[in-house]
Amino acid sequence: MNHAGPVSARRIRLLVTISVILVAVFAIRLIDFQIVRAESINEVSYEKRAVARTVPAVRGDILDANGNVLATTVYRYDINAAPAIVKPVERQIDGISQVVSVESVASELARLLDIKVAKLLPKLIGTSHYVNLKKRVDAETHRQIVELGIPWIFADAHHDRLYPNGAVAGNLTGFVGSDGAALAGIERQFNACLAGVDGKETFEKGVDGIKIPSSTVVIQEARAGRNVVLTIDSDLQYQAQQVLASEVKKLDADWAAAVVIEVKTGKIVLAAEAPTVDPNNPGKSKPEDRGARVFQFAYEPGSTFKAVTAATAIDTGYATVNTQVRAPSSLKVFDHVINDSYSHPPTNWTLTGVLRFSSNVGTIKFAEKVPAKVRYEYMQGFGFGKPTEVGFEGETEGVLNNYKDWDGVTNFTTMFGQALSVSPVQMASAYQTLANEGVRLNPVLVAGCEDEEGNRTAVPKSTATQVVSAATANDVMHVLEKVVEQGSIGRSTAVSGYRSAGKTGTAEIKEGSGYGQYYAASFFGMAPVDNPRYAMGVMIYKPKRVWTNSMASAAGYQKILSQVLLANRVPPSTGKSPDLPTEWK
Amino acid sequence: MKRFERTRARGPLVMIVVMGFLAISILHLLLTIATSQSVYELSDLKQEKRELDTTSQILAEEVASLSSQQNLLITATKLGMVANSNPVFLRLDDHKVLGKPKPALGSSSQSHNLVANSAMIKIAPPKKKASPASASEPLKLPVASASEVPIASGIPASPTR
Repeated sequence: MNHAGPVSARRIRLLVTISVILVAVFAIRLIDFQIVRAESINEVSYEKRAVARTVPAVRGDILDANGNVLATTVYRYDINAAPAIVKPVERQIDGISQVVSVESVASELARLLDIKVAKLLPKLIGTSHYVNLKKRVDAETHRQIVELGIPWIFADAHHDRLYPNGAVAGNLTGFVGSDGAALAGIERQFNACLAGVDGKETFEKGVDGIKIPSSTVVIQEARAGRNVVLTIDSDLQYQAQQVLASEVKKLDADWAAAVVIEVKTGKIVLAAEAPTVDPNNPGKSKPEDRGARVFQFAYEPGSTFKAVTAATAIDTGYATVNTQVRAPSSLKVFDHVINDSYSHPPTNWTLTGVLRFSSNVGTIKFAEKVPAKVRYEYMQGFGFGKPTEVGFEGETEGVLNNYKDWDGVTNFTTMFGQALSVSPVQMASAYQTLANEGVRLNPVLVAGCEDEEGNRTAVPKSTATQVVSAATANDVMHVLEKVVEQGSIGRSTAVSGYRSAGKTGTAEIKEGSGYGQYYAASFFGMAPVDNPRYAMGVMIYKPKRVWTNSMASAAGYQKILSQVLLANRVPPSTGKSPDLPTEWK
Repeated sequence: MKRFERTRARGPLVMIVVMGFLAISILHLLLTIATSQSVYELSDLKQEKRELDTTSQILAEEVASLSSQQNLLITATKLGMVANSNPVFLRLDDHKVLGKPKPALGSSSQSHNLVANSAMIKIAPPKKKASPASASEPLKLPVASASEVPIASGIPASPTR
């Protein structure tokens, strides 16, 4: 017993010593893992199980002037299957467990996805864990598929663009591609406003690759895009598109366009065309119908340009509304013969009469004294030869050659809208100038980029330029009123109860080095004359079923103008037009 | 004897420590259960919100489709309504009729939709009349939220790509 004590004590001490050493070793390792190398170990470990993903920002809306949505972002779902785990589906029906065959389930799926069972079934066979059944399925269909409770069906949600009104203003909104990239129109031009900033987050996954709940860490919040507010009225835009589509069909034309500008603000109320693109499905439209011809197409305007020439001659003092000319129906200038659109004996017209009867020769007679340089500067003042301030993507500047490059004939033909080209919006802007006492306001299509609080940025600056005097502008407007009052075509553009003014245009279309057999018929004007509110134009391109080309645009113009006046509750006109003689003796 | 007395004296202290430890453990357990319960509730609420967001989007798309110009024209035409491009006004001051009244005959541009809209949904006409207030307000579709990915609303996202 006496020996046992010290031995036991030694053993205990040894055990304690070993234990202490072991604990110390573990403690050192623990400190090493938990404190010294904790950060790097954690990092390596986190990297192995953490998954980073981009959270796409929601794209902003495109709104019309009344806040109606023209383009918005919604969720769409790609419906996928995992053929490797496809098997009959167990369902509880009235409390009884039933097994539904794969064929029956496929039949249900095919009905919801609007595809044939014969096409769907082969996709469900195989060892793959992924096969796409249909892309861009809407939320309602997605929900119905969820309710089927099929364990081997999966869905990937993603943002998609929806244009609730289809082709209404589709030429302006443009569209995005299947990958969400802005491809055309306002979508592309204002991408910086519409596109938000993508967010970033990470989550952790287990060894089975499944996301660990509540492990999401937001690195950067996604910032939604802002809204682009347009100046157009989508209801009027729709009605104009309806009218234009009907006229294109009736006249067997290539296409038609219309533009309406608010005289006192320069805001574009509508910029319509037909045919045009449905941004929900741009592939269905012809490539040439996917743009905005109102801004992107340049054409020789023809007689609608005579209003500009008249304004220049009056403003520079070379003519008045009563300037007398004697005009034959044709005139030889240099080696070129200029004709009126119809044959007539030499006629004594005033400037008013020249425009009323749309005489090319008469226009030369009252404008020939105005120096080419002066006319050129006035043309520039009216906004020709450069894109409008709208700056629509791909907007044309038209063609306005320097007056120094005009040859003898061009000097005359530019007086009645040949040898130069303009876009419909440029021409409407010139008529806005005449309707606004000679003050040109920059046309506006986008009112601004608006955030959630309603704060607007990118608001276009309003520039007002006095191009001609108020007296000149009013004179020309009253001259144009005679076109509507007395002209056979002009009369058909009149809206009962309103005084309106305007000018026909029948422009030849260049084909190669000469002109083709078809025309671009247009009518541009303003209303009401006693208190101008709207300047507008309608253009019909290559109408093939008309008895006179000038007539082609009149019906469409009248229908659109009447809707614009009616929708905006414009009070009917009072008073009468001034008495302006068209002929002299 | 002294050791025994010392041990007896420490007894309540040990009991307090053990009881305290037990109490803390139970409290921790209860808190953990409560937190877990809250996590489940939170998960349920998030799921419910996703469902409501989806319902909201479905309804908004239906409303957008119903209020699209194309649908309004088709519906108005079905009701026998015809647009008149000939406005006439009655001036209250002198009871004068401004403009020449003409019957609205309708035309192809006004009675048939000619503007494509592939986003239109075929929906049965609503049974109840919409309230005037909601009808006059411009439609604003709910904006999809980037932070709420509705993939977990029943069927999961695809496991592999």
